[in-house]
Amino acid sequence: MDSKKLEKNTSLNYIILAGILLVLAGGLVLLPKYQKHEGINPEILLNKAISSERYISTDILADRLINQDPSFILIDVRNEDEYAKYSLPNAINIPLKKLLDEDSIPYLNQAQYNVILFSNDNYYADQAWFLCNRLSYKNLKVLKGGLNTWYNTIINPTIPTENMTSLDFELFNTRKAASMFFGVAYPEQFKVDKPIIVKKAAPKKVITVEKKKKKPAEGGC
Amino acid sequence: MGPLIPNGIIPEEWNSIIAILIGIFFGFVLEASGFSSSRKLAGVFYGYDFAVLKVFFTAALVAMIGILYMDYLGYLDMATLYVHPTYLWGAIIGGAIMGVGFVAGGFCPGTSLCAVAIGKIDAIVYVIGIMIGVFIFSELYSLFQPIYEGYFEGNITLMDSFGFNRYWFVLIFSIIAIVAFAVSDIVRKKVKSIFY
Repeated sequence: MDSKKLEKNTSLNYIILAGILLVLAGGLVLLPKYQKHEGINPEILLNKAISSERYISTDILADRLINQDPSFILIDVRNEDEYAKYSLPNAINIPLKKLLDEDSIPYLNQAQYNVILFSNDNYYADQAWFLCNRLSYKNLKVLKGGLNTWYNTIINPTIPTENMTSLDFELFNTRKAASMFFGVAYPEQFKVDKPIIVKKAAPKKVITVEKKKKKPAEGGC
Repeated sequence: MGPLIPNGIIPEEWNSIIAILIGIFFGFVLEASGFSSSRKLAGVFYGYDFAVLKVFFTAALVAMIGILYMDYLGYLDMATLYVHPTYLWGAIIGGAIMGVGFVAGGFCPGTSLCAVAIGKIDAIVYVIGIMIGVFIFSELYSLFQPIYEGYFEGNITLMDSFGFNRYWFVLIFSIIAIVAFAVSDIVRKKVKSIFY
């Protein structure tokens, strides 16, 4: 009698448990579906966007280029015409509209190199940076100020005025040296120092006294 | 938020320690629920004890439903979970061999170690058998390699390969489980009960 009651109780327990299982599984089907947010979380993206680390300055870039640092690739996101006219050394051209093309993915979505994006300003490069971050690509940086700043700081650095600190002069000298590396010619490079004309000491005049040749005695008669 | 270790909430270094703790706890639960007895495990094939079927089916369902709810609520990112890669024929042949071993020996590899821990002689013999099997496999690896590494399907799930809606799949799977439990209970009552 007792065991029968127990059996009935346990079977009731199992029915309840099975019911709970069904309710939970059915709940999953009935839940309102929403489009899951794919890619990077908005908070993380914001943190990255306001971090100063996402920019690289033109001076640091110049230094790396000069030292032939192999750890990064340069991506020019301007269009082909502009790229053809001028770009940074060894830059790869991926115009913004081709950013999502299949051919561009191997350059952008890899963990080996830092990717430095640049355009004329940092406007298009920033847009590319955001798009790539949404796709959770890694190691992306933007050249601060783009090619305009590159031109104004590295290619054609402003000459510091006299009332500026020595650091400014040092910076100017570094930039000037860098610009020479990138092919800018300065007039003083061509100023060939005038050869110092060493006046040769006038050779001593040796007064030679010509010995009168003894005339051979002319024959007389 | 989750998974906890890949997202850095628990430091990476704790990985092995947590694994050992979970392993100890898992072994304890297996032993406590009688899974270290080969008679109980083999019962599922002879129809006098369906504990194995019920336990593993329920475990799979609870885990599945739990993960889906946690993913839905944003506590767990399902995309970052590890999906075991599928080597189709390797899995089929290996599964068949393991099934034969299960019927013949009355243990699966995990429960056999559990039974060794409490000193069952049949389990010790079984584990020695596993070692011999491992040895033979390693020695003849070059022979088995094409099957072992071939037919690679990638890290696929049923939902990916058949295009099921995962929520409906879980519901249908739960219904199948409950029907299987009910049927197994009827079978168990019809089969002459065995005391062990």
